[in-house]
Amino acid sequence: MTTRQKLWISMAGILVLTALAGVVDYPNGPDIIWRGNMVRELKVHLGLDLQGGASLVYEADLSNIEAGQEEEAMAGVRDVLERRVNAFGVSEPLVQTNRSGESYRVLVELPGITDINRAVQEIGETPLLEFKTEGPAELTDEQRDIINNLNQSAQDQAQEALDRALSGEDFAALATELSQDTVSAANGGDLGYFESGQMVPEFETAAFGAEPGTIVPEVIETEFGYHVIKVDDKTTGKLSELNEESAEDTIAEITDDATDVTEATEDESSDVATEEVNEEADAELEVEAVRASHILIQKVPEDNSIFGPNYVNTDLTGKQLQHADVEFDSQTNTPIVSLQFDAEGATLFEDMTRENEGKTIAIYLDNEPISTPVVNQTITGGQAVIEGGFDIEEAKTLARRLNAGALPVDINLVNQRNVGPTLGAEAIQHSVVAGIFGLIILVIYMIAYYRLPGVVAVIALGIYGLVLLAIFKLWPITLSLSGIAGFILSLGIAVDANVLIFERFKEELRNGKSLTAAVEDGFKRAWLSIRDSNVSSLITCLILIWFGTSVIKGFAVTLAIGIILSMFSAITITRNILKIMPVRDTRWFGIKR
Amino acid sequence: MKQNADNIKIFNILGTRRIWYGISITLVVASVVVWAMYGFNLGIDFTGGSLLQVKYETTDPSIGAPEADVITQQVLDSGVTEAVVQPSDETTVIIKTPFLENEQRQAVLDVLSASVDGKVIEESFESIGPTIGQELRSKAVTALIMVVIAIIIYVAIAFRKISKGPVPSWAYGVSAIIALMHDIIITVGIFIVLGHFYGVQINVMFITALLTILGFSVNDTIVVFDRIREGLRRSKQTDFEGVINESINFTMMRSLNTSITTLIVLTALLLFGGESIRYFIVALIIGITVGTYSSIFIASPLLLLWQKLLKR
Repeated sequence: MTTRQKLWISMAGILVLTALAGVVDYPNGPDIIWRGNMVRELKVHLGLDLQGGASLVYEADLSNIEAGQEEEAMAGVRDVLERRVNAFGVSEPLVQTNRSGESYRVLVELPGITDINRAVQEIGETPLLEFKTEGPAELTDEQRDIINNLNQSAQDQAQEALDRALSGEDFAALATELSQDTVSAANGGDLGYFESGQMVPEFETAAFGAEPGTIVPEVIETEFGYHVIKVDDKTTGKLSELNEESAEDTIAEITDDATDVTEATEDESSDVATEEVNEEADAELEVEAVRASHILIQKVPEDNSIFGPNYVNTDLTGKQLQHADVEFDSQTNTPIVSLQFDAEGATLFEDMTRENEGKTIAIYLDNEPISTPVVNQTITGGQAVIEGGFDIEEAKTLARRLNAGALPVDINLVNQRNVGPTLGAEAIQHSVVAGIFGLIILVIYMIAYYRLPGVVAVIALGIYGLVLLAIFKLWPITLSLSGIAGFILSLGIAVDANVLIFERFKEELRNGKSLTAAVEDGFKRAWLSIRDSNVSSLITCLILIWFGTSVIKGFAVTLAIGIILSMFSAITITRNILKIMPVRDTRWFGIKR
Repeated sequence: MKQNADNIKIFNILGTRRIWYGISITLVVASVVVWAMYGFNLGIDFTGGSLLQVKYETTDPSIGAPEADVITQQVLDSGVTEAVVQPSDETTVIIKTPFLENEQRQAVLDVLSASVDGKVIEESFESIGPTIGQELRSKAVTALIMVVIAIIIYVAIAFRKISKGPVPSWAYGVSAIIALMHDIIITVGIFIVLGHFYGVQINVMFITALLTILGFSVNDTIVVFDRIREGLRRSKQTDFEGVINESINFTMMRSLNTSITTLIVLTALLLFGGESIRYFIVALIIGITVGTYSSIFIASPLLLLWQKLLKR
């Protein structure tokens, strides 16, 4: 085979390669089909900054994970996040775990997502499902503090009411306004007549100890709360008769300022009450009785009644959940979420229900109790329902989130990058304009300076561009803004290789060598420079890839591919075309002889 | 510009080397001085924090974004402790704050939206936790050191065979590194000034640009050294100075052409490439310009300096 034949063969190879690259590059061109059924769509993958979307980095809190189990926990996190992310329906989501020193992170990329807030919420907020049982009733210090604070403010309120009463404000009006004993408050605080033993001791002592018509000069604390007491009357008689009179008094008072409607109803009910009392009145003994009014500011009992039971964690969590479904309660027809546990969960749930019969268990979602059903009997088979008072949407969302699974560990958002779709579109447009302008000036410059070789370089550059784009599509490499910068910069480098060759080539021509010899020698000499200089750039690229946040990686990868390809382009394409050209006049190369 | 075999002009670059040394030393010293005076204006990549870019789409298109002060106050009102607002164009502003959680980010957006007649659109948001910032900082430093070491090793290997020349092969490596440090220091110096007066930040993209400049600069220098290596074998020039000067002249057009073509595309990117990579491109343009200058006027003359120093 002659050298000429060899040249034509490599030329044909270049043409075939160019044609293949062109087919791959063609927009909406063919897809790759493997073994008849695996199809890979060929397209340029755009990065977040070009098509908009969100990139989220979460750091996992592995403090509760045993040493050596971290990788497994992270794999769990990745699986769960993948399932959650898939629910968003974005085209190419990415979930990647990585380790950086001591911290374990997950990178989630959601290209093209529009509702970033919802995404962040649904990804990051762990649907932490926990089943808790009633723990010991003792108050925690925190709870005790809360109670003390509440009671202190109640006492202050009572003191204020007392001060106002002592300063001469109308007691009945005050009682109506302030008293938390709603029954007596309606009657201006009037409790009617009572005898010894009917009231709690502290109240009684104070009431019986005071002169009629006076206000007890201090706030009296009882188990109900803080009382401001006014003694209206002290007498001896049958309680029922005394109270009958007092009731009439009260009615008379009310009638004065009440509306017609209230009058009518009050009248009716008190008539009934009076008759009943009269029937029993005869058997009664006369007793010493006191009639008093009070203003009550209630206090909180020092137990956990306001907090509900102290729920404690059990081993049953969302981890043992097999499946969650939306169902409808057969009686109320409200949506409920049904849960099916796995074998371990079923056993745990059975034990839990057996041990807590008659008590409540609490179902916590994200640290909030959403349902606290009472256990009626031991439940076998591992089924439970959550009646959280949901509407249908809430129930569906919960079931979906539960099905996606609970995260084995907590994750925190440590890095977030959102790009709106308009910004991305603008960036693409800008880059395309920049690329076109850059290319045009480059072509003009190369041809003006290098003449025919300039044209050859431009052709080589064109093929270089086609092949590079094809590689981007085939690999596939996600093209980001920094990637485009790398791509455009690599155009400069590709030109550089050609420039090196041409300068050497011209030098050889000037030294009087024949065209073919000049091409060969020029290449030989230039190759060392091209290789040495590009290797240093490649080293930099490799370190940049390692340095790699995604932005930098994109830049470095495209630049590295560009550098390698530019070497290939300069050596093969430019050399072949130059050699094969039928031109023999050196003026075509900008050299006068 | 035309050249032919008969009238190639040889510039006596080595003869004027004192001028070039003078310019370079001045620039390097100036860079160190501005560094001492102003320090680095580090971006959120390295300090941790958030950058929120919003666009105001008001119902009345003649009204753009509110004044920066107004926006700053609104952001502070939403519960953020610190905010720096930088208008980007008529309708777009960039708000720099400490690290924001997603809820806080939403709160800021809500407050801004409520204040205008129309919409406030989140164009981009970036939030970097303090640990990540710390990590990126140490990573950036490591990467820089690694690149420098890798290049020293590479240059030493590439030039190991010219041990017979007037200077030992390590002198090439050291000269290349000095030229390289020169490029980096001046580029950083210019960015410190830009940072002080125009708020340009030193971020991960800038480090990327620096590392790329390292690669390019050494690339240029290697081409010249390559030529010197070859010149030592076959040049008609008899003294080292002559060989260096000839080699610089032979490679100068190549260096200039390469830089010019690269600068052409970079300038296109700068003019049309949009906001987000602007200063990345600026850094590359500065670095490549300085790098080309140093490979011609600094790196090779340094070889002569070595020769003279080693002779003593």
